[in-house]
Amino acid sequence: MSGPLLSVQDLRVTFAPGAPGQPPARAVDGVSFALAAGGSLAIVGETGSGKTTLARALLGLHPAGSVSGSVQLGGQELVELDEGRWRPLRWKRIALAVQNAGTAFDPVYRMGEQIVEPLREHLGLSSAEAAARAAALVAQVGLAERHLRAYPHQLSGGEKQRLMLAMALSCEPEILIVDEPTSGQDMLARAQVIALLRHIRAQRGTALLLISHDLAAVAQLAEQVAVLYAGKLAEVGAARDVLSAPRHPYTWGLLNAYPNMSTARDLSGIRGQMPDPAHPPTGCRFHPRCTQAVDKCRRVEPPLQAHGGRLLACHLGGLQALLRADGLRKTFTTNGHLGPAQNIEAVRDVSLEVYEGEVVGLVGETGSGKSTLGRLLVGLLSPEAGSIAFEGNPLALNNSSASKRLRRRIQLIPQDPFDSVSPYLSVGQIVREPLDVQGTDTPVKRAEQVQDALAAVGLPTLDAFLARHPHELSGGQLQRVVIARALVLEPKLIVADEPVSMLDASEQAKLITLLKAIQNERGIGLLLISHDLALVRKVADRILVMRDGQIIEGGPSSRVIAQPQHDYTRALLRAAPSFDWYSASSNGDRP
Amino acid sequence: MKRRALGFLVSLWAVLTLNFLLPRLLPGDPLAALLDPNSSAYVFNSTTRASLAAYYGLDRPLAQQYADYLAGALQGDLGQSIRLNQPVGELLRAHLPWTLLLTLTALGAASLLGVLGGAEAAWRRGSAADKALVAASVIASNAPVVFTGMILLIVFGAKLDWLPLAGGRTAFARYDTPWDAARDYAAHLVLPAATLTLALVGSKFLLVRNSMIGVLGEDYMLVARAKGLSTGRLKRHHALRNAIVPFVHHLAAHAGFALTGALFIETLFNYPGMGRLVFESVVARDYPLIQGVFVVVSVLVLSANLLADWLSYRLDPRLREAP
Ligand SMILES: Nc1ncnc2c1ncn2[C@@H]1O[C@H](COP(=O)(O)OP(=O)(O)OP(=O)(O)O)[C@@H](O)[C@H]1O
Ligand code: SF4
Ligand SMILES: [Mg+2]
Repeated sequence: MSGPLLSVQDLRVTFAPGAPGQPPARAVDGVSFALAAGGSLAIVGETGSGKTTLARALLGLHPAGSVSGSVQLGGQELVELDEGRWRPLRWKRIALAVQNAGTAFDPVYRMGEQIVEPLREHLGLSSAEAAARAAALVAQVGLAERHLRAYPHQLSGGEKQRLMLAMALSCEPEILIVDEPTSGQDMLARAQVIALLRHIRAQRGTALLLISHDLAAVAQLAEQVAVLYAGKLAEVGAARDVLSAPRHPYTWGLLNAYPNMSTARDLSGIRGQMPDPAHPPTGCRFHPRCTQAVDKCRRVEPPLQAHGGRLLACHLGGLQALLRADGLRKTFTTNGHLGPAQNIEAVRDVSLEVYEGEVVGLVGETGSGKSTLGRLLVGLLSPEAGSIAFEGNPLALNNSSASKRLRRRIQLIPQDPFDSVSPYLSVGQIVREPLDVQGTDTPVKRAEQVQDALAAVGLPTLDAFLARHPHELSGGQLQRVVIARALVLEPKLIVADEPVSMLDASEQAKLITLLKAIQNERGIGLLLISHDLALVRKVADRILVMRDGQIIEGGPSSRVIAQPQHDYTRALLRAAPSFDWYSASSNGDRP
Repeated sequence: MKRRALGFLVSLWAVLTLNFLLPRLLPGDPLAALLDPNSSAYVFNSTTRASLAAYYGLDRPLAQQYADYLAGALQGDLGQSIRLNQPVGELLRAHLPWTLLLTLTALGAASLLGVLGGAEAAWRRGSAADKALVAASVIASNAPVVFTGMILLIVFGAKLDWLPLAGGRTAFARYDTPWDAARDYAAHLVLPAATLTLALVGSKFLLVRNSMIGVLGEDYMLVARAKGLSTGRLKRHHALRNAIVPFVHHLAAHAGFALTGALFIETLFNYPGMGRLVFESVVARDYPLIQGVFVVVSVLVLSANLLADWLSYRLDPRLREAP
């Protein structure tokens, strides 16, 4: 067979506006992909991204929408086909297991009758043959014949979902489209559905188009992944690559928002909302939510282009490293009062990256060099060797105006708030201080910025509060003031060195959640330094483990926690309080 | 379903009891007045008066009256018509079949037209044909039956002289074959039935069209289409089959309306059903007959509802398990 089995070119589905005078909703807006015979492709994306609309368009089921572009099945053009010609293709060549199995069955007929229906219409089987086939099909999806005699309302959602699959498979289609086969199922049923789909593919060579936001299922079922955002493809590539190393900021956000059994991290969605398909943003559709958008993103739509083995629609070629440190080294020399002078290698050949909008946890026991590394990164110390680049620009430890401008975009939240603020300044003065140093804005503007920053950390913005002094504040309040001071310059990266260690447990949890919320909302990169793995894993996307001045292990939080590579990490994990027992026993779902 | 049947029996009992109590509780003692020579309602015919006195038995204790009444009613004894001096049961037996014939014919025709038209209009909603049908049915269901009846009568009866003007059959006719009889009955039935059909068909059409449109938007219709089924199968086997369920209930709820419509039309066409009987008995304050009609109409409406319950129970498997 030459060429792909299914080839989709510039497919668009538009829905007429709900009210006259409104623009039409462009639910699918120029999507192209191909599916080889026996191949598998997953389409992933948030709710409302157009996945179901796309799936229906492939079967010519667009009751209210108008479809343009091209869909070719084995060379035959399907768009604009009339109903009469669609009929023999549907179910026999392309079948669809719909998203909502709960409402997908006609309530007045028994399941068996509904499964048998296409067998009789398409394959012309006798009723006895069709019944035998239906019995075999239900057995294949792990159900019994009694399920065939049941009416839809007599079955559970999971049973209906499987019967939907059985029905979709009945005519042995060349292409099976499955819309959210695992949603709303318990873990066991979900695993069974995945196993079933794998089995069917292996046995029959059915091509699979999987639509899902269950990324773990996608990883197990699809070779290719296409990420759909607001009706357009953002990233397309091999599932293994895309899911383990997402490159488009949206894919990256999607993976971070994905609940993974092996992570105990609190979920954080992608900031902002999916745009309304009737009013898509100009330029890159993702730009209002993208943490690294540049001016061009607002104006020009990025084309879907080949980029290192995959397709990517991003002007910047995907996720940018916010901070990149290479081969950093720092040695302290003790001055030898109590013995011979000694060299302490606090940081030894450390390289790391922090991406846009990412939370990286840096953990290690006390004395492992975490704080030194943090101070190197924010420029409070200068390394003996190695280099640091921020947003691609080298960060030099000099006072040139260029590096000052870069530096104000990296802020440090120090471990002990009392150390870092002058006891003689009021709250208002503390927060305003960095602005005064910069001296760029008018006093009124500065006052506003101070208010905003205080509001962001959940502190009062009353004058009475602004006039207070550090000793009049609780530890939690003072730490918030320090965070507000870091925020007031609108940094792109915050290095927080044990930001909550001075606080009690409840205040710790509150503050770390707040920090995460601010980070997510503003799209700031956050390097969170802590010895407390239990705390870090709640918010970090990635975890780096440091020991004796070196980074000995690093990776996605889920992986590091579920499958620590290093004994040292395991020891840290054991030491972490309130560690959920199940995380340790589950295998990482992601490759 | 058992509960529905039980409900039917309870309602039946309530209707009969109400029928027993109402005249006895009415102010002014209307029953006693029938037998009171000083009252304006006094029944002069002595045999009628005797049978009324026996039927109501006002001199007996109330419990006894009630027991006698129930026993009589269940055997079809509903008293004696004052005006016609005949047993009410007998009068009803003579006239009810005509009314039933008219009502059921019209209900059947209106249902058939409403269902087929409604289904087709929903399938092609928005088309010119759909819009025309909707407009026509709104007009038809709002036009007074007397008005449409008159028009039909003038056009087909008087002007074109195709159909008989009045009556249920040709007077004094003798039929050679049953076929001749049927033809004569049918010819007399056409105009009244058409009038009633016109009055009924609009709401049926609109209801079926609406519920069909609802069904067509259901996920299972999308799946049925995705399965590549033929249009006929989609339309009838899936869409109409589901849309018909609410229709059945509508039909039952509409039975009372159809019956009253039939009574009006019968007077218009001088059809031998209960229509004339009812109006004349109301004018003459023929209480026993009015009450008899009330009981019969109530029983018919109750039965229609029971039938509808049973039908929808057959049609919708979801109801079978409902308590
Ligand atoms: N019939 C319709 N008329 C108008 N707009 C529609 C219609 N169907 C879908 N849409 C819109 O198209 C967009 C895409 O919807 P779609 O159902 O394809 O999303 P999805 O990606 O499948 O979401 P989910 O993950 O929740 O299933 C949404 O904004 C939706 O409101
Ligand atoms: S960087 Fe620009 S083009 Fe790339 S995803 Fe963000 S907004 Fe879109
Ligand atoms: Mg969907």
